[in-house]
Amino acid sequence: MKKKKDKKKRWSRRTRKTLTCYAILSPQIIGFLVFTLYPILWAASKAFYYYTGTPSATRFVGLENFARIFTVDSSYWETWGNTLLFTFGKLPLELPLALFIALCLRRGLKGAGFFRAAFYLPCIISIAIVGLIFTNLFDYFGFINAWLMKLGLVSAPIDWFSNPWTARVALIIGSIWSSFGINVLYFISALSNVPEELYECAKLDGASRWVTFRKITLPMIAPVFSTILLLAINGTLQTCEYILSTTRGAPHGSTYTVMAYVVNRFVPGFADMGVNVGYGCALALVTAVIMGGIAVLYTKLTAKLQNIY
Amino acid sequence: MNAKQIKKMLPVTGKYLFLLLVLFFVMVPILYTISSSFKTNSEIMAHPEHFFPEAPTLENYRIAWSDSDFNIPRMFLNSVVYTVFCVVFTVTTSALAGYVFARGGNFTGSKVIFAVFSSLMFINMGSITIYPIFEVLGVLKLSSSLWGLIVMKFFSVGIINIYLVRSYIRTLPPELDEAAEMDGCSFFGIFFRIMAPLLKPILATISILAFNSSWNEYLMPTLFTLNNRQQRTLIVGIMSLKNSGASAANWNLMLAGATIAMVPILVVYAIANKYFVEGLTAGAVKG
Repeated sequence: MKKKKDKKKRWSRRTRKTLTCYAILSPQIIGFLVFTLYPILWAASKAFYYYTGTPSATRFVGLENFARIFTVDSSYWETWGNTLLFTFGKLPLELPLALFIALCLRRGLKGAGFFRAAFYLPCIISIAIVGLIFTNLFDYFGFINAWLMKLGLVSAPIDWFSNPWTARVALIIGSIWSSFGINVLYFISALSNVPEELYECAKLDGASRWVTFRKITLPMIAPVFSTILLLAINGTLQTCEYILSTTRGAPHGSTYTVMAYVVNRFVPGFADMGVNVGYGCALALVTAVIMGGIAVLYTKLTAKLQNIY
Repeated sequence: MNAKQIKKMLPVTGKYLFLLLVLFFVMVPILYTISSSFKTNSEIMAHPEHFFPEAPTLENYRIAWSDSDFNIPRMFLNSVVYTVFCVVFTVTTSALAGYVFARGGNFTGSKVIFAVFSSLMFINMGSITIYPIFEVLGVLKLSSSLWGLIVMKFFSVGIINIYLVRSYIRTLPPELDEAAEMDGCSFFGIFFRIMAPLLKPILATISILAFNSSWNEYLMPTLFTLNNRQQRTLIVGIMSLKNSGASAANWNLMLAGATIAMVPILVVYAIANKYFVEGLTAGAVKG
């Protein structure tokens, strides 16, 4: 007992603190190794195998999976096309809308707190439920068709989910509905960092609203704007559950996003039995690299925005 | 009112009109869903233009509550259990980890660990990694059970929450810890005696966000309950009804289920909406 106490004393306070720190972090360190690093390495290595879950059928195929992705598998690249279409259909509508709302809510507008809270409401609803709600609203016998007919905007109901383009429109509307609120909050916090004196000066100089917006507001929020845009691009490119809970790619796989496609083809519960998981791993790896590449490229391109003032 | 006053009023009125229009589009899908859950299925199908039910009925809720396959009480309980564990684990582990990274005094390897944890945000292999995760949990006989997912949650790295706690602690004066250290309090003791009470506001935010995300979770609970229907959470159950062949005949049940799944979130949001908003603006985009 005495010996142990002596040993403890010999450890400096700093060593003891370091050990405590590691003890506290141990769940996360273990979790990182077991549930993050190992799965990534597993998937990266299985990308070089034919693997269906049956050990006896597993065999090393080298680069065959990758060769198939880049030469044969056009449906995977079509989902990339659709993912980009979805992203560039959604964000140019959503972000200006969110910015405009944030501008309206600024500077002591009465009831701003209420509107802000109400606009954020869709963001707290499960994306799966959002999918369900919009599948119901855009149903052939649904609310939106019924009102379009009633208001005389269309003469016959639109079968939204049977045509790739109308399906995309419906998906984009639902997606904007569910996520614009968070961007309103981001923009409000960005705008609140712009010093009020600048606006007062502009007013004294007789600048119009549009000029004030272009020459003061936009440049002042540009650094934060580029972060908001990065988050939005990243989030939208990785859309997965929303597609799984609405169209699941219908019609004919034309509305898949990349992530949803990989899940629907290769993850248990969604995929067929006995698929080549090794090929799914190769797809996931290629997808992750492309996504990472887009993020890096974006950061490089917008680097000069960060020190605009 | 003279012309000048009118000119001043005009933009404000325009703003309100615009905001009310947005409010209308935000609220209609939610209110229509809740309102339709009180309609009969034939009214949902035949008169989608009705906003309010012709003859409000609780029949959908009665069926949903007693249906043996679409077992709402059980699913609700599963959702509650899952959410409670997730919230408790998230708050505890992120508070402790945030404290270590803020006040650990750059212990050996701290920078590397923090950098590695942060890089997690940028690597996403998607759900294909469920295979190796099942393999690991299979060793513990937990792969097809909600408990497996709960165990995984305990070990997961919530880097955003760690960031939130870390930056919050950095705003507290270091003299607090130093004084306690002088009095012989250990590094671990300082957390419980000094830090934990001071962290209440940020932990409230984190627990609300964790409540929201775990209650809403869809994909992971689905994968973990594939062979274990008894453990399905509300969202999983509702979505599996939607993906079953007979979904059109079951809009009434699905809308009632969706309403039941939304109500707890809406109630908490009504009471504590400032915590939802604070966490996001504090952590995400500051400068």
